[in-house]
Amino acid sequence: MINRRNFLVEAGGGIGTLAFSSLLANEAAATPLAPRPPHFAPRAKRVLWLFMHGGPSHMDLWDPKPDLIRYAGKPLPQSFGEVMTRRKVSMNPLLGPVKPFRPHGQSGLEISEFLPHMAQHADDLCVLRSCHGDSVNHPQSVYQMNTGSILMGKPSVGSWVTYGLGTENQDMPAFIVLPDPRGGLKGGPPAWGNGYLPATYQGTTLRPGANPILNLRPPADRTPKRQRSMAGFIQRFNKQHLADRDGDDALMARIHAYELAFRMQVAAPEAVNLSQETKATRQLYGIEGKETAEFGTRCLLARRMLERGVRFVQLYSGDTGGWDAHKGVLQNHTTWCHRTDQPIAGLFADLKARGLWEDTLIVWGGEFGRMPMSEQGSGRDHNPWGYSVVLAGGAVKGGMAYGATDPIGLRAEQSKVHIHDLHATILHMLGIDHEQLTAKHHGNDERLTNVSGNVIKEILS
Amino acid sequence: MRALTAIFLLYALNGYPAGLPAKKHWSWQPLKRPSVPNAPEYTNPIDAFIVVHLKTKGLKPAREADRRTLIRRLTFNLTGLPPTPKEINQFLQDTGPGAYDRLVNRLLASTAYGEHWAQHWLDLARFAETDGFEHDKVRPNAWRYRDWVIKAFNDDLPYNRFVQLQIAGDQLHPDDPQAAIATGFLLAGQDMPDINLLSERRHMVLNEMTATIGSAFLGLTFGCAQCHKHKSDPISQEEFYQMRAFFESDLQLKERKVGKVTARIMQAGKHIPTHVMTRGDFRRAGKMVQPAYPSVVNPAGTRPPKGQRRELAVWLTGPDNALALRVAANRLWQQHFGRPLATPEDFGTQGLPPTHPQLLDWLAAELPRRKWSLKAMHKLIVTSATWRQASRDNEGDPEWPARLQKDPDNLLWSRQIRHRLTGEMLRDTLLAVSGSLSNRNGGPGVRPPLPKEITSTLLKNQWPVSRDETDHRRRSIYLFARRNLRYPIFELFDRPALAESCAARMVSTTAPQSLGLLNSEFTRNAAGRLAKHVASETKTPKMHVKLCYQLLLGRAPDTNELAAATDLITSSPDQQTGLSDLCLALFNLNEFLYLD
Repeated sequence: MINRRNFLVEAGGGIGTLAFSSLLANEAAATPLAPRPPHFAPRAKRVLWLFMHGGPSHMDLWDPKPDLIRYAGKPLPQSFGEVMTRRKVSMNPLLGPVKPFRPHGQSGLEISEFLPHMAQHADDLCVLRSCHGDSVNHPQSVYQMNTGSILMGKPSVGSWVTYGLGTENQDMPAFIVLPDPRGGLKGGPPAWGNGYLPATYQGTTLRPGANPILNLRPPADRTPKRQRSMAGFIQRFNKQHLADRDGDDALMARIHAYELAFRMQVAAPEAVNLSQETKATRQLYGIEGKETAEFGTRCLLARRMLERGVRFVQLYSGDTGGWDAHKGVLQNHTTWCHRTDQPIAGLFADLKARGLWEDTLIVWGGEFGRMPMSEQGSGRDHNPWGYSVVLAGGAVKGGMAYGATDPIGLRAEQSKVHIHDLHATILHMLGIDHEQLTAKHHGNDERLTNVSGNVIKEILS
Repeated sequence: MRALTAIFLLYALNGYPAGLPAKKHWSWQPLKRPSVPNAPEYTNPIDAFIVVHLKTKGLKPAREADRRTLIRRLTFNLTGLPPTPKEINQFLQDTGPGAYDRLVNRLLASTAYGEHWAQHWLDLARFAETDGFEHDKVRPNAWRYRDWVIKAFNDDLPYNRFVQLQIAGDQLHPDDPQAAIATGFLLAGQDMPDINLLSERRHMVLNEMTATIGSAFLGLTFGCAQCHKHKSDPISQEEFYQMRAFFESDLQLKERKVGKVTARIMQAGKHIPTHVMTRGDFRRAGKMVQPAYPSVVNPAGTRPPKGQRRELAVWLTGPDNALALRVAANRLWQQHFGRPLATPEDFGTQGLPPTHPQLLDWLAAELPRRKWSLKAMHKLIVTSATWRQASRDNEGDPEWPARLQKDPDNLLWSRQIRHRLTGEMLRDTLLAVSGSLSNRNGGPGVRPPLPKEITSTLLKNQWPVSRDETDHRRRSIYLFARRNLRYPIFELFDRPALAESCAARMVSTTAPQSLGLLNSEFTRNAAGRLAKHVASETKTPKMHVKLCYQLLLGRAPDTNELAAATDLITSSPDQQTGLSDLCLALFNLNEFLYLD
């Protein structure tokens, strides 16, 4: 006898309104990752998040500030009041943008010369120029951008999305993270953690190469025949065990988990196998270039994941230092833009060519931006008070900038977008009402957006 | 967790009995010890309370589980380890009166008991040996608190003393370094030592500490009140900061010398006033407040005259602190049965009322009556007929179908609940069955090797492997607890994130768990070790199979199993590999992972 309620609980763990009601509506949805209908018609079905770790400089990339050129070398005017900074830079002279901006495309969206390849997609980009968060520190801000909270241990956006919507491909993880192989993300794996949601919704890290997912491959000395014999033995006696135990849902869920594991062993290596990709594709992503090969490869992997129906893919660029240009913004951003610009533009072009652009939501951004004041002469300190995040894909209006920072890029000023607002908007594009996607935790109905969050309606396509 | 959520669903579907005025909420009513219902056929009062509810559905408790099941269930529940084949045989042969009691006594007296039960408490204490955040810096003496907890369980330190010392050991026993080490509980949470402003860091630590008092001892979610007042919150923002005021002056962010050692402890410092922080922002100090207890759980209106932690400690553990006693009793029940009587950490007005309110109150009142002895409470619970019930029908119980039909979610406890091993129990068991588990205890956390794929997500040198290989095989409680990285097999099997107090772990079922058990280096090595051990003890494949089943499942294989398992060994080109494959396959059986 199968008790459905127990089964849902066992398989899915936590219960959100959305997850729960839609699961009930679908008897066949016997796994916690089965696709579930959203609250309303979505504009996007999946998410690709390009996370530039360290904090890219908005006023050198996306947010042109003519006044900053004018005031360069002068101290911050007193009218700006006291500024909380990480490294006491508020008295330092202002540093002008280190690269010129130019209008691009029909829209004339201004983008700096750091990003010539992404600029070719200007008419499809929506730059949120008024983002802001709450901490001047890296890990707190990495957590906040991913989970809404500066504290560690809350569920990440990817976990919430897969908790709400499940995933299209039952043979692959629903939420895939491609960390920078150089390591060193500040805040570490909790950035893609499931927090208080069931472990099912945790980000799975994926690496290029023969063993993309930890423990995926049987050991080299175990032949496929042996593997089949062992699998047969396990499933046979697990089924027999179940038969004596009133069809216990937990035991049955575990039999299903083995089936999924075996399917994943076949599907995942195929999904990461790039040998069938053409030379043209490899060139498009910059895989043939020395500096762009690494990130290009992960961008290509990301496309293969999205193509296969993975719900949420997150790519990190940046090692321990990454985009964290405390000195020499020019050198630092030259390096990191060079590594990522062409691969990302190639990925955009490829998504468009394959009909994936329209229903993929793309997010480009770091954990914060940078200060208009200089640090050590040529660098910039962390700035959570105002910075840019770029959205793209069919769900957003292209060729537009939304909101504004003050004249020097210090603080978000017009149409401010707090991280909660960004999260609410991302969920909205996926057809999820951020106030309705909840999970019981310590007796409260917790949300990604805590008790705030406004959807930015003006940018919806 | 499973049926716990089922209770929630039940209410979600049928409507929660809402609308009670907050002051009348069940959990903060004074504790009146209910009289035990009349059930002459049961000597244990727990059973009398359970039977009353079963009778309303025309049910009786299920028969007792068979003795093999019982010793397996009990040994795991009390010690986190499997019974050895020898221990099973001894118990099966001990048919005299009191055999089960003797077994309970033996297990409660073993050091393995404290090493297992301490983990429940460390979850609640959000214990880790690092700070978290960017550098996830090591707290070199954090293990002293962990060892204190283990010893407290093994010594059966009365629960009221246990709690008091963790809140105010330094003030209650100024001359006892161990009492100060106990206050490591308050400081076991996440911390951001490299944050810019000391005021921000103190604010975060103090609020986290205050929130933990709420969830760990009062079953209430305080955390939200630091910023704002929810309609449903039982405590106000002002009350949150009044609670924080107990800790404000004594918070020490650096390790301190205590006796001959250093440790993270609370210690009186110069007086620092507490302010209500507007919207929880450390830059917006509002009204100044004095230490006080939240009114809703303090119907007597007790005030702390000096505003010291020791007063808070004594108030929290008073025999008339109904809420704290209910929380403790509920948690004990949950740790034995796998499901609580009321939703844990959810004793506020949003939580669900207990399924057995009388039983919960009786148990809560029983704790001080039994001199606050946790071992006495364990014994009371595990000797009940309710706990000893079968979880399945393997002997043709004519009432079984009625149990499933009338009590589908087992809310009445018409049978025992199946328990899954935790990651820690699983690891300890895999080491124990091959005789590899080291019996070294205490001291700094140890680090067995990790896969490169995992260390590569960390900062450099965050996981220096312990030099002595024996340390790699120590009990899980002694593994280094890095806040930013849970040990892989623990993480797979739902160890909490150590970011906040956790009273009840989730039980998830995932494909990565299966992959981890099938392919990870850890399980493969464990299988190899067990195969070697079995091959040294027995000669033929059939005998190997029989020993494997005894060690891993505590029983002999049946004919089909014997044939299939022997075939798995002999079909391998190399017998030792075949045996190792069999061991690995057995690790993957639900019968191994779940306790009937």
